[in-house]
Amino acid sequence: MASLIEIKVPDVGNVADIDVVDVLVKPGDEVKLEQTLAVLETDKASMDLPASAAGKVQEVFIKPGDKVSEGTLIATVLAATEESGAAKQEEAPAQQAPVQQEVATAPVEKAPEPTSQSPVAAPEPLPETPARSEPGKAAHATPAVRLFARELGVDIHKITNGSGRKGRILKDDVKNFVKKVMTEGVAQSGTGIPAMPSVDFSQFGEVEERKLSKIKRLTGQNLSRVWLNLPMVTYHDEVDITEMEAFRNALNAEKSKDDVKITGLIFIIKALIAAVEQFPQFNASLSADGENLILKKYLNIGIAVDTPNGLVVPVLRNVKHKGINELSAELAETSNRARLGKLMPAEMQGGCITISSLGGIGGTAFTPIVNAPEVAILGVTRAKMQPVWNGKEFVPRLMLPLDLTYDHRVIDGVEGAKFMAAIKQYLGDIRRLLL
Amino acid sequence: MDANPAINESVIHAEVLVLGGGPGGYTAAFRAADLGKQVVLVERYPSLGGVCLNVGCIPSKALLHVAQIIHEVDEFEQHGLNYGKPTFDLDKIRAWKESVTNTLVDGLARLVKQRKITLIQGTGRFTSDHMVEVTTEAGKQNVSFDQAIIAAGSHATQIPVFPNDDPRLWDSTDALALKEIPKKLLIVGGGIIGLEMATVYHALGSEISVVELMDQIIPGCDNDLVTPLFRRIKKQYKNIWLETKVTSIEKDKDGLKVSFEGKSAPESVVFDAVLVAVGRKPNGKLIGAELAGVNVDEIGFIAVDKQQRTNVPHIFAIGDIAGNPMLAHKASHEGKVAAEVAAGHKSAFDALTIPAVAYTDPEVTWMGLTENQAKQQGIEYDKASFPWAASGRSLSLGRKEGLTKILCEKETGRILGAGMVGPNAGELIAEAVLALEMGADAEDIGLTVHPHPMLSETFAFAAEMITGSITDLYIKK
Repeated sequence: MASLIEIKVPDVGNVADIDVVDVLVKPGDEVKLEQTLAVLETDKASMDLPASAAGKVQEVFIKPGDKVSEGTLIATVLAATEESGAAKQEEAPAQQAPVQQEVATAPVEKAPEPTSQSPVAAPEPLPETPARSEPGKAAHATPAVRLFARELGVDIHKITNGSGRKGRILKDDVKNFVKKVMTEGVAQSGTGIPAMPSVDFSQFGEVEERKLSKIKRLTGQNLSRVWLNLPMVTYHDEVDITEMEAFRNALNAEKSKDDVKITGLIFIIKALIAAVEQFPQFNASLSADGENLILKKYLNIGIAVDTPNGLVVPVLRNVKHKGINELSAELAETSNRARLGKLMPAEMQGGCITISSLGGIGGTAFTPIVNAPEVAILGVTRAKMQPVWNGKEFVPRLMLPLDLTYDHRVIDGVEGAKFMAAIKQYLGDIRRLLL
Repeated sequence: MDANPAINESVIHAEVLVLGGGPGGYTAAFRAADLGKQVVLVERYPSLGGVCLNVGCIPSKALLHVAQIIHEVDEFEQHGLNYGKPTFDLDKIRAWKESVTNTLVDGLARLVKQRKITLIQGTGRFTSDHMVEVTTEAGKQNVSFDQAIIAAGSHATQIPVFPNDDPRLWDSTDALALKEIPKKLLIVGGGIIGLEMATVYHALGSEISVVELMDQIIPGCDNDLVTPLFRRIKKQYKNIWLETKVTSIEKDKDGLKVSFEGKSAPESVVFDAVLVAVGRKPNGKLIGAELAGVNVDEIGFIAVDKQQRTNVPHIFAIGDIAGNPMLAHKASHEGKVAAEVAAGHKSAFDALTIPAVAYTDPEVTWMGLTENQAKQQGIEYDKASFPWAASGRSLSLGRKEGLTKILCEKETGRILGAGMVGPNAGELIAEAVLALEMGADAEDIGLTVHPHPMLSETFAFAAEMITGSITDLYIKK
């Protein structure tokens, strides 16, 4: 028997309104299991939507530019070879009613004022009767709330989720919508900071305009917000990892060719875990009103990963009791999927503290930006063999530069320095991780 | 209307001028006055209230009540109630009908005075985009205005080739005058007005024939809602000719000789009177709108936006003249919107539906989406139709033909449309309209406790049929 299978957006974490960037199949295409049907993009990542069934695509319900969320019907696939069944299904009426856009009536205010005695023709024909709203597309709001919205100049159709029963839009929802728009408006103007002037660069030479990826745009918004809202301090230090490296190389030498090699980052993660357990205020967030500190009893660590689409921060979960090998395997797997754009939004949520490592590239120090609402971020640049004075003579030691940026509202300068000292102790003598 | 001021040589000024004193016009005038505007109301007839109050909704309801009493008494003869054959004192009935309208007209005149509105009786025409000239009995009066609200209504459509000067050829106003009871009455047009008049004259003893161009009576209404009415009047009336039109009406010494053409067209028939009820035409071409720069279409409608503004921003239009449906309750709501916008408020007409009621026997009513529209527009819906044969209240009225229908959105159960047919069905539709405006779904209606045994219960029962929780019927899964 031919069976028609509906392919829907899977659980992608608590994310709604995911953009459809590309649709790769059309009705009539044969698709294999796990074949990519469409590319979706959230504010954190883009991802491929795999086919959960193989067969012939009957109907595709999305197009680029649509917004989808968990459960949205993407396509129907006929999971069989019977042609008769396929033909029959095509007769099934399309689920959707034809999309009609509400046509706004031409604003008559713009009609020229007729002069006395000389009748003028209206510039544009008005509909014969007033455009009445169509019941099926009406906002879920009572007449009084619709009136209230109109008085405030709010297009009630833009309020998507009412807080009333079954999503009914209440007066408070209209008020909150207005508040939100007002506050966003303020933020956009950069709390009074003058906007950057627009410059026509083509007067200086040839240019090409390329649209920023959604991840870059949203990361940019988030970074600006953090930059303006958080008083941040960055503290720099160096740690002697000569012994740690020797141990790491010895471990890797024991491994076979196919095993995941242990990277220095794993030891930094372990050291960070131990330091956070010692200083719980680093695993915390300020409440929105700034009155309370929310201390977290769980510990997830975000790792900033550079991908072709932009910077993403996958989160390693419940790291407290994970060993070096387990963390290594998990990190390798996650980073790999991040680079392929296959991370689910849920995998990038819930971080407690982040590591941003430029260790593979170079540098001596930088000032990472805290991934708020976290309160601290640890930056890592490349380790370098340096002459170190041991009291009697200069000895060559492998020194790793570390940069700790913290939210000064939560972390005091001394706490920051002590936290860094703890990390140094753990990395300098990894036996301490056992304590 | 004794308030007519003596003709003022100089121009009278109005902050808001309202042209037409029907249910739309007087509502607009009252609302504008209440919002602090100085208002001049121009009405061509001596009494306010327009067609609705004087020669429409109200007098027809008075006469329909008479018809209902006659029918009920007549029908209960078989159940053991015998008053004998009723006799009519037509003069007394007419006087009663007039007392009803007079009470309301007097009430309106008082409301005008209380609000200090200047009322001018006469026919107004625009002479510019800020001036109206009113022709009164005493002469011409110019009224200048800052803003104007056109509420000049509509008139019964006449068919030019008919002998319109013959007193036996009626329009709805003639029929409501109740001058005589013709033996044989032909009603041209099987719409709401024609059928309401048919109900009255049938009860008073006329032999009724109805001729309708379309394939059903009350065109536009879903067929299942019309069918119970059709079955009943088919038995009561002499003829109902569908898909048939009148080709000619000739004066004859015994009456009006009418010839037909169409599917069930009879030979020509002589009637004692013919009521032409083929619709109404807006009065847009009769008010000098072109001199104000206001656009009027071919038919006579004036196009408006959601705020009731015409193409001239300070001139509004409401009611029949601003578009279909031509109903008093649409006009009065539009009148409020226009007055509020004129007073600087951000009002707009955004009602989701305008309910329709035919005060026939049984009454037919509907609102929101009809099944016909849903099918045309390809909208999927769930439907439930509760038969009044299962309503104790209906049966105890001696009636079982009614039904209550609900159309719901397939996924959410949200009410999209509803309709009822049955005695007093018109009183039930308001709940459905409220449900639609509130965004209620079938579950909401079903969970709302409706009193028993009432006809209003049928709406809840129909909703329960949608949700599958009905117990007053057995529906096989």
